[in-house]
Amino acid sequence: MDISSIFGDFTAIIPMIALLIGVLIVPGVHLGLKKPTATWGVALAVVIVSLVLNVILLTGDYQGTTLDMASYNPYSGLMILLFQIVLFLAVFVSNSSIETTRNNTGTYYALMMAAAMGMMFVAESSDLITIFVGVELTSISSYALVTLKRGDSRAAEAGVKYVVIGGMSTALTLYGISMIYGLTGTTEIAAIAAQTQLTELNWMFGIAMVAMIAGYGFKIAAVPFHMWAPDVYEGASTPVSLFLATGSKKMGLGVFFQIFLVMFVAGTACSAIAGEEIRYLFAIIAAFTMTVGNVVAIAQSNIKRMLAYSSIAQAGYILIVMAVMNDYAASAGIFHMFTHVFMKGGAFLIVGALICAGIGEKISDYRGLAKRAPFLAFAMMLFLFSLAGIPPLAGFTSKFFLFSSAVGTVDGATSEWVWLAFVAILNSAISLYYYARVVKTMYVDKGETTEKIKVPKIFLAAIVICLVAVIVLGVYPQLVFNYCEAAASFLLP
Amino acid sequence: MIPIEYFLALAAILFVIGGYGVMTKSNAIVVLMCIELMLNAANINFVVFAAFNQDITGQVFTIMSIAVAAAEVAVGIAILLNAYKMRKSTELDDEKLTSMRW
Repeated sequence: MDISSIFGDFTAIIPMIALLIGVLIVPGVHLGLKKPTATWGVALAVVIVSLVLNVILLTGDYQGTTLDMASYNPYSGLMILLFQIVLFLAVFVSNSSIETTRNNTGTYYALMMAAAMGMMFVAESSDLITIFVGVELTSISSYALVTLKRGDSRAAEAGVKYVVIGGMSTALTLYGISMIYGLTGTTEIAAIAAQTQLTELNWMFGIAMVAMIAGYGFKIAAVPFHMWAPDVYEGASTPVSLFLATGSKKMGLGVFFQIFLVMFVAGTACSAIAGEEIRYLFAIIAAFTMTVGNVVAIAQSNIKRMLAYSSIAQAGYILIVMAVMNDYAASAGIFHMFTHVFMKGGAFLIVGALICAGIGEKISDYRGLAKRAPFLAFAMMLFLFSLAGIPPLAGFTSKFFLFSSAVGTVDGATSEWVWLAFVAILNSAISLYYYARVVKTMYVDKGETTEKIKVPKIFLAAIVICLVAVIVLGVYPQLVFNYCEAAASFLLP
Repeated sequence: MIPIEYFLALAAILFVIGGYGVMTKSNAIVVLMCIELMLNAANINFVVFAAFNQDITGQVFTIMSIAVAAAEVAVGIAILLNAYKMRKSTELDDEKLTSMRW
């Protein structure tokens, strides 16, 4: 079946249109039926329709453009798939979680789908205007999502912090974009890259770069712009934390790839903006991000906060791509984003499931968990070991690709980024300490009770999906890595 | 005709005032106002560059960013209201709004 013959010119944005329809009808379903489960069912059906449409497009190697604004290509198709998986996991468990709102389910699902739609538009755009609007659609929806955990004072505090810091990052980004626009007279990234090759490096370009890197650095929580992330992930309800930690952050990294990678790799033809300084800047940001994330994570006693710091560190690993800047690194970075969705998503799902069963967020609450919930403890152990990079799990494979891209080029010559790979490997060793501490708490420490705990079936199903993905991607990475390579070679021809 | 540097200087001064306010003010509503100031500095930049380059894209971008800023303030004020109901404070350096650290 040829899907583009059905939807015509709008084929490129059909996954988003499906979600848009969902955004519009879900509040209506909520108001009409007043049943949270019915609203959840409709929302989940819309997400699955969108997912299926995108899988058909992606496996059919569809490429096309809608309205000169959104173009579907191997890269955007893969990123859209990633965002849809995140959205599916978050929506799937929301109805069973006791943390999510029971009164405003329509708003909740509509906001979540709108945020995912913003991410998808970002993945499809090649123009600074659409990237800006997409990022803002995601950000503004997620401010409201965080605060929707009604009657919780930590959520209220997290919402205030998120909106203030997010607003400031928007202003910084916009100022940077305005400088780029003034310098080049265009907002298309390819045209900007062509223009900046011809001009000399000047102060205006410098201001623009600093403002844009800082602005989007807030979105991916790169050090030193990371302080909002732990507060927000701790304050939000766990499905929303999952959505933000795995989805929103990937959108920011995608923006980094689409703007800076494209701009500077295309710009290497010219010596004026060869990007050597910028590459060192990114390398330093990456090194600091992973080190600070991992070191501060050691001191945390709240597991959601610990996972938040670990996800800051993971963003640091992915930022290696911005220093190495070749297509092997880019494909490894995209692959690490994929595995990170499943391992971090799985860890957050277990935290959410245990909260539903009445177990708190403190790491000390997990004492003796192996006796009380053997499967959950085992799954948590696998997810944490995967995050630390223990073979044969997915985290090991993707980290291996990522770090090996920093160590050497394909022809065997050693690259200048060996020190960065060294820092990254040291950091993996540090991270093993706090992951293993959780495992020790679960398996070695004695709990106060050995009473078995029951968690909602939906959560178990979602955890099993993540667990299967973590193991399969660990042993058979080609399943996704081939698509990652196609995406990277599209991004950096 | 007024040279372009004057406009850019105006925008830069507005941006710096806004940034200073965000970093030093403790009332969250004032901070939101300062963020608006920073966004408007960028808008002035866009309009000026559009006018001097004879290009319409910058003006389109300004319309987009004004809409985004309006949405952001609407959501921001609602969030502040919610925080005020929970914690009886909109002061960002207040004990009531800084329970989570590190």
